[in-house]
Amino acid sequence: MSVSRAKIAETRRVFYRLSPDEGGQHVVLVVGFTLLTITGFLVYIPDTWLEPVGAVGLVSEARMFLHRVGAMVLGAVSAYHLYYLAFKKAGRRFFRDMLPRLRDLAEARDNLAYYLGRRDHPPDFHRFNYRHKFEYYALWTGNLLMGATGVVLWSESYWNKFVLDIALVVHSMEAILACLAVMVWHLYEVHLGPHKYPLDTTWVVPTVSEEEMKALYPAHYREIMADPALRRAFVRDVQVDPPEDGTR
Amino acid sequence: MAWLLWVALCPSTAVAQTDPENCLMCHRYPTIGVELEDGTARSYYVNPDRYLHSPHGRVKCSNCHLGFDRIPHEDGPKVDCATKCHLVEPSTEGPFSHVNMIEGYEASVHGRTKPSGQPKEHADDLPTCLDCHTNRVIGVPDDVFGRSAELTNETLARCQGCHTGEGWAEVAFAHVTHRMRRPRQMREVIYLCTRCHEDGQRMERHGIESIETFKETYHWKLVKYNDPNAPDCISCHVPMGYSAHTIRPSADTISPLSSYNRVRTCANIGGVQTCHPNATEKFARGRVHAYGDKVAAVDRAERHAELPGDAVLLETSAHRVAKKDLFHYRVLKFLTLFYKVLIGLVVGGMVIHQGLDYLRASKDPH
Repeated sequence: MSVSRAKIAETRRVFYRLSPDEGGQHVVLVVGFTLLTITGFLVYIPDTWLEPVGAVGLVSEARMFLHRVGAMVLGAVSAYHLYYLAFKKAGRRFFRDMLPRLRDLAEARDNLAYYLGRRDHPPDFHRFNYRHKFEYYALWTGNLLMGATGVVLWSESYWNKFVLDIALVVHSMEAILACLAVMVWHLYEVHLGPHKYPLDTTWVVPTVSEEEMKALYPAHYREIMADPALRRAFVRDVQVDPPEDGTR
Repeated sequence: MAWLLWVALCPSTAVAQTDPENCLMCHRYPTIGVELEDGTARSYYVNPDRYLHSPHGRVKCSNCHLGFDRIPHEDGPKVDCATKCHLVEPSTEGPFSHVNMIEGYEASVHGRTKPSGQPKEHADDLPTCLDCHTNRVIGVPDDVFGRSAELTNETLARCQGCHTGEGWAEVAFAHVTHRMRRPRQMREVIYLCTRCHEDGQRMERHGIESIETFKETYHWKLVKYNDPNAPDCISCHVPMGYSAHTIRPSADTISPLSSYNRVRTCANIGGVQTCHPNATEKFARGRVHAYGDKVAAVDRAERHAELPGDAVLLETSAHRVAKKDLFHYRVLKFLTLFYKVLIGLVVGGMVIHQGLDYLRASKDPH
């Protein structure tokens, strides 16, 4: 006797961590950042590796051009993000949720205590915890410094050599800091963490299950469930097909 | 047998044209040479083919090697590039000589004599003609400034319409077009200059810094990238309108590096390379090479933290380190140190944090 699939299909509640717009911004950010990283560090690879690259011909010109394209992409997405924060409802919510608060310090302290075994559970995190905020503001700081020094280096004729030297030191050292930070902090958060490996897909499909919400962001979960407006913004019910063999 | 010997010793037709004195009869054999009193071997071998295709391929040996009329040769004077040879210089119709170049060279930073005629200190360190000019092979180039080989062929064919002497048009064409392109690749130029300028001790004797300071610049990276616009030594030290034979100290107002000429040098307007066409005086003022040993030594001396060797470096320094340069050096050094510490603390902190997270999460079932 066949049973209608519609009756077996479950409804699951999922929570949006990022709006589709924010997910899109992140994709553009990844493209721009990767392009800048590759074309930027091509200058700093050892001399013995530079020669075979140089033998290909025109790599230097292409590198410069693509680096500037990457800068334009990152600049454009940063400008759009500012517009998004100011003029979109979801953007204003993002801004409020991302604002640094005193409770972040207490949460950082408690989370470290949890790591060290002095607490049984991590603190009740809100939508964005101290790790997210640290990374977000580090990204802004880096963006502004890299952007400013990049513009100086791009418009070299208008500056004196000392300013250019300073811009070059800041641009190159900040690049090393940014890349190491992304490698150590961000890639661990989304790829290498024991519960994330091989890839946290939040940036592609920006939803998490109700169980994950309760476990990872309990304070945010409670806020959402208590406020119908937030529920409309963050929660969706999706139909989930059962496995082919009908098992659960 | 005698015939075979004659064939072996007889120079080829092409060689005969350039060697009417038949010097190559002996000097074509790679083993020809002497052992000097100090035990070193000295070769007198001349590769006929290479010589024929060198800039001097049409000059008779005895034009430069004077006093070797007898066989076996007796000691003669060293080759002097200022000697007037038997070539007729078409613009003056007089005998040709490199004396113009040599007079300019002697007055340059690389010349061995002072204006007074006295030899400079450590004159042996300074290069002579042969240190740079190795009588390299030149020939008709395949192309001139990236233009097609067909252009070369067509132009050369027009020359050959009137200049029918065998090989003459080719030599004249090579002579002219050789100067329409950079005869040496960037890396060759760097190699040529660094042979001396990389020698820290030698540079120290003359109060200048090792070329290492150039290798820390973006300019050097472009050279390594083989970028057609890359600035090698020649680009800035011998820009358009200057000669490599007349390089002056940067403080000399004639020098392309003097503050009077910097903008023109950086802009290189009208030159083949596109450098910094919008260069302003503000941009062009300032140090191009990285700060090197000398400013570091001055910095240490002011902080009473001298290293061995600093005193010699400071004593021999030809130019005083400007206060402004010292300040710039210190700011850049501090900024680099600041970032190193910041990167160490931030990334170190991150590693510890994520390490703790990993250890805890590994135990945690969530």
